[in-house]
Amino acid sequence: MRDTQPILVLDAARPADIPGAPREPALTLTVAPGDLLLIEARNNRRAALFADLCSGLVPLGSGNARFLGQDWAKLPAEMAAALRGRMGRVFADDGWIGFLDMETNILLAPLHHTRRSLDALRTDAAAMAHRFGLPGLPLGRPVDLPSTDLRRAACVRAFFTNPMLLLENPLLDQDAELLGPLLAAIEHARGRGAATIWLTRSDVVWRDSSLPVTARLRLLDRGLVGERAAA
Amino acid sequence: MSGVAVTDRPPGPVRRVLAATGRGTRRRVAFFLMLHALLFAVLRYAVWPGSWRRSIRAELRRALAFAVGGGLTTVILTAALAGLTLASQAIYWLGTAGEEGLIGPILVTALVRELTPVLLGLLMLGRSGAAALTELGTLRLTGQLRMLEGQGLDPFQFLVLPRAVASAVASFSLGVVFVTVALITGFVAGSLLGQVQISLLRFLSYVLGAMSIVDFMVFPAKMLLIGLLVALIPSLTALTADAGAELADLQSRSFLSGLLAVLVASLALSLAA
Repeated sequence: MRDTQPILVLDAARPADIPGAPREPALTLTVAPGDLLLIEARNNRRAALFADLCSGLVPLGSGNARFLGQDWAKLPAEMAAALRGRMGRVFADDGWIGFLDMETNILLAPLHHTRRSLDALRTDAAAMAHRFGLPGLPLGRPVDLPSTDLRRAACVRAFFTNPMLLLENPLLDQDAELLGPLLAAIEHARGRGAATIWLTRSDVVWRDSSLPVTARLRLLDRGLVGERAAA
Repeated sequence: MSGVAVTDRPPGPVRRVLAATGRGTRRRVAFFLMLHALLFAVLRYAVWPGSWRRSIRAELRRALAFAVGGGLTTVILTAALAGLTLASQAIYWLGTAGEEGLIGPILVTALVRELTPVLLGLLMLGRSGAAALTELGTLRLTGQLRMLEGQGLDPFQFLVLPRAVASAVASFSLGVVFVTVALITGFVAGSLLGQVQISLLRFLSYVLGAMSIVDFMVFPAKMLLIGLLVALIPSLTALTADAGAELADLQSRSFLSGLLAVLVASLALSLAA
């Protein structure tokens, strides 16, 4: 039986004011296990801020943000970091550490947060890499790979540890081949109770009515606006 | 309460100079205080077993390989030059003056206590320090630190701690290599030029005999402290860089700060001894 505790709850959560920056709207959102939320976010800065807020990386001026029932603001730093290790993120700009090789980049989070053997992690990551159309774990450094392979590798990094997922624009308009493996991985994750927040600025993705989303939202100046799909 | 009218006049030249002076002073004092905080954080977390997860250990190995393995050739060559210029000259002139007994104290004071820490600090600053600043500065300026935090990794634990420990260990190890190579090279050079009247064993016994308990404490302390500083200063410079800063500017600022720190640290420990 699926756990019914929400995975993520934003309760009128508003980022703390930054001098010189526009005041951000308060956000209210509940993400249940198995949800796939498609959020249109045209403003890159606001999309990144939203993703960081969901991850507890942004101090709040009001409201609260809870992940797996834990209030980010009340958690000690180490516990908060451990909880973030249960999130898989595809970052909007891929997000690679240039001086590390690709294998270390992909395995970094589970190496840090778990005690699973390196061989087991490599096996799982390589299997996920195959599902995303890569011949295996990429070799070399991020600068050695083409952008399409980096995008696939970013999906491998996010998905292979079976976490709750946060996808910042994982699919650009030119990544049509990636859609099938991405949806398959999302469905597999939903089947085991994970939730996915998919941020997009792509018209093609936003207008795709075949995506099995549970809610379509827009991240606007006044907050999150949208509706949930009928059950 | 009556309000006091505040005009929006632009500040005059005196106020502008004071503001610029104050800004620079505040920045330097803040950097100095942050450096101390970082130093204590490294010392605290380095001895806590929970700090050394697999990911951190892997980063430590990588930093150590770079600092020790990559810098060894340069250290040996520099030590050989130092040996040729300092050690061989000391052996020759003191031998000529009939003051062979002073060879040990002169070399311990000049080479072991003063020249080695400073020269090695500069070498490491130019190599490991510059590399650390480039790596961390790139992460900072491209916003990739967020990516680390988003995966639940603390930038201090993952980026700074292993580099600092590796640098300290490398500094001490390379310091021992430096002293050994400089002494032997100086002796060999002196022998080849016919200036040396004593055997290698006697020469080394002069040097060892001139080292006191304080020297055996001050040398490791200097090397470890300088190793920490040449890692922490570039790291702190990189991680506190303003958006839009240029790596080249950061490199020059970091090198000058590091140079000053190395000299002050060496002098302070020499005076304290």
